[in-house]
Amino acid sequence: MSASTPTTTFDERVLAALPEAPAFVAAIRGRAFEAFRTLPLPSQQTEEWRYTDVSGFVFDQVPAGAESSSAPEVLDGVAADLGERAGLRLQYGRATIERRLDPALEARGVLLLDLDRAAAEHPELVEPHLHDLVPVERSVFTALHGAFRVGGTFLYVPPDVQVELPIETVTGLGEDRAAVFPHTLLVADRGSEVTLIDRYVSPPLAGALSDAVVELVVGEGAHVRYVSLQEWGSGVTHLAVQRAVVGRDAQLRTLGVALGASLARAEVEVELAGDGSSTELLGVYFGDGQQHIDHRSIQLHRGSRSASDLLYKGALKDAASAIYTGTVIVDHDAHRCDAYQTNRNILLSDRARAMSVPNLEILTNDPTRCGHAASVGPVSEDVLFYLQSRGISREEAERLVVFGFFNEVLDRIDLADIRTSLERAIADELRGGS
Amino acid sequence: MSEPAVLEVRGLRASVEGKEILRGIDLVVRQGEVHAVMGPNGSGKSTLASVIMGRPGYEVTEGAVLFEGEDITGLPPDERARRGLFLALQYPVEVPGVSVVNFLRTAYRSVKGEEVSALAFRKHMKEKMEALGIDDQIVQRYVNQGFSGGEKKKVEVLQLAVLEPKIAVLDETDSGLDIDSLRAVATGIDRLIGPHLGVLLITHYQRILTYIRPTFVHVMMAGRIVKDGGAELAHELEAKGYEGIRRELGLEETVGAPAE
Ligand SMILES: Nc1ncnc2c1ncn2[C@@H]1O[C@H](COP(=O)(O)OP(=O)(O)O)[C@@H](O)[C@H]1O
Ligand SMILES: [Mg+2]
Repeated sequence: MSASTPTTTFDERVLAALPEAPAFVAAIRGRAFEAFRTLPLPSQQTEEWRYTDVSGFVFDQVPAGAESSSAPEVLDGVAADLGERAGLRLQYGRATIERRLDPALEARGVLLLDLDRAAAEHPELVEPHLHDLVPVERSVFTALHGAFRVGGTFLYVPPDVQVELPIETVTGLGEDRAAVFPHTLLVADRGSEVTLIDRYVSPPLAGALSDAVVELVVGEGAHVRYVSLQEWGSGVTHLAVQRAVVGRDAQLRTLGVALGASLARAEVEVELAGDGSSTELLGVYFGDGQQHIDHRSIQLHRGSRSASDLLYKGALKDAASAIYTGTVIVDHDAHRCDAYQTNRNILLSDRARAMSVPNLEILTNDPTRCGHAASVGPVSEDVLFYLQSRGISREEAERLVVFGFFNEVLDRIDLADIRTSLERAIADELRGGS
Repeated sequence: MSEPAVLEVRGLRASVEGKEILRGIDLVVRQGEVHAVMGPNGSGKSTLASVIMGRPGYEVTEGAVLFEGEDITGLPPDERARRGLFLALQYPVEVPGVSVVNFLRTAYRSVKGEEVSALAFRKHMKEKMEALGIDDQIVQRYVNQGFSGGEKKKVEVLQLAVLEPKIAVLDETDSGLDIDSLRAVATGIDRLIGPHLGVLLITHYQRILTYIRPTFVHVMMAGRIVKDGGAELAHELEAKGYEGIRRELGLEETVGAPAE
């Protein structure tokens, strides 16, 4: 289908009604709106969208309410449940419900702000980065995002400032057929350290869209941890693009968790730009019902002695399906790199499907240690028999095996409360029938 | 103790993928007895163990397995274990991401009932570990992952000790062990043997029988028990070899060949 814009609610009128923005943001909006009107819906003929069909997607959602600032109940439980945090930002629809940051960090120049406010108050920090790593023209969805985004999170950590406790952003949504455009822009200046958690929550919602962009700028020698917890209710279509650039001797560790939404796609890309930069990319997903989960990763090595290690593990039950496509690129001038990529899938029903597609593009002639592994399969009958022969029921045995399966990832998460809440979520997924 | 529990294998024939492996086995193991089943590789010993425990993939074509007088041939393995059967595998399986202690606790609760407290379990496990000389760090590790042959078999014996079954089938728990590990594993098993435990000890070699004295010895060949006796039969086997017994009984060498 080449018709670019079928009937859509995202027209000039809605665009004109957006809150006023600084000139550079307005310029992005204009460019993005143009792109939105001209770009086609992704086709399954393209490599990028081969396994996920959005050809019939209709842009008929309503931008999530600007006015609803009454504390929505979907966020109540979340805020009460949080571990110790250095900062917190709650966004509902497009309104900031709450924002707090440890005053000591504020005094040292750390900024945790609504992205629009940051654009107005600190354009010198925002303008160089906003939609730099994820250009609006990338797809019709990033274009829509660029044109209609309101709010989002801006986190800036000045040089050599170490933020000990995690900072968390929660984005909530509560209306059927609503569209949200979560945006996270994190700039960690040289030598800084920070952990940011992005959490997306909603009840089941008919026909809602979450069109998300995450841009992570990791400066020289900085250490950044980024966790994304996608817990949207069923009925949500979640399309996220996350891209990071990692400077010299800097380190980025990410964890992507996909538990919710009906269709969940996350593109996770890391450019190891500086020499000696490194990244660890962890992923956990659990699909049930008719859920479709699509992960695409790129580990792009440009710096020498750069290292990347990716481990994504998923379980699928009912008629859920998952696709993982991972690409490792080692550039011509990147010498002595290490790049590893592992994707494993466990199928808990005959109707569940998963596929794993690894790609390696090694352009350098220099010694590079590269490895990839992928697997898709049901729980081993030998293991089930072993556990059952000890008196453990088949259901319990399966639960134990699935927990064990995820432990390989969970063991590498040193945020205790995130690990605990993940364990609980996995237990819920295993229990919940659908 | 009430009536001793009895495991009875009655006229058992079983096939795997349409191929008959067990061709009529009769065995009675009572709580408190030690039965050694000895036989060459491929004679069907592991198949017998699997069928007793209800491993999927084995078709019982004739006969039955009875436990405490009830036919358990159709029961799932976990139900058999809860009734008091146990199988130590010849090749213990790795369970990635599941620690030995977690595995054991889950199994113990399944076998003994849900009301067992974590504390009571800990104490029970500690006792057994001390008795077997098993150190703490191994139970924190993931089940059989990266274990040496000796460690795998020791942990099988720990499971046996903790779960306290009435009848245990031990499939070549002595194989693949060096002398020291063999002694440790065998004396560990020997200490568990008593009026509350009956053992079906499957072995290829008689060396484990220097540590564990069997009440009865059965020789298995080509899916049948071809000779029964007391402890002295093991020595006879040692002297003559399986080949000698085979010649003496006038048996053909084929395994899993059609019965007729
Ligand atoms: N799962 C199986 N599939 C096919 N053949 C099998 C299977 N298990 C055992 N067998 C065959 O059954 C015969 C007996 O094997 P097994 O019971 O392992 O003997 P033992 O334990 O005495 O060495 C062998 O010929 C073996 O190849
Ligand atoms: Mg065997």
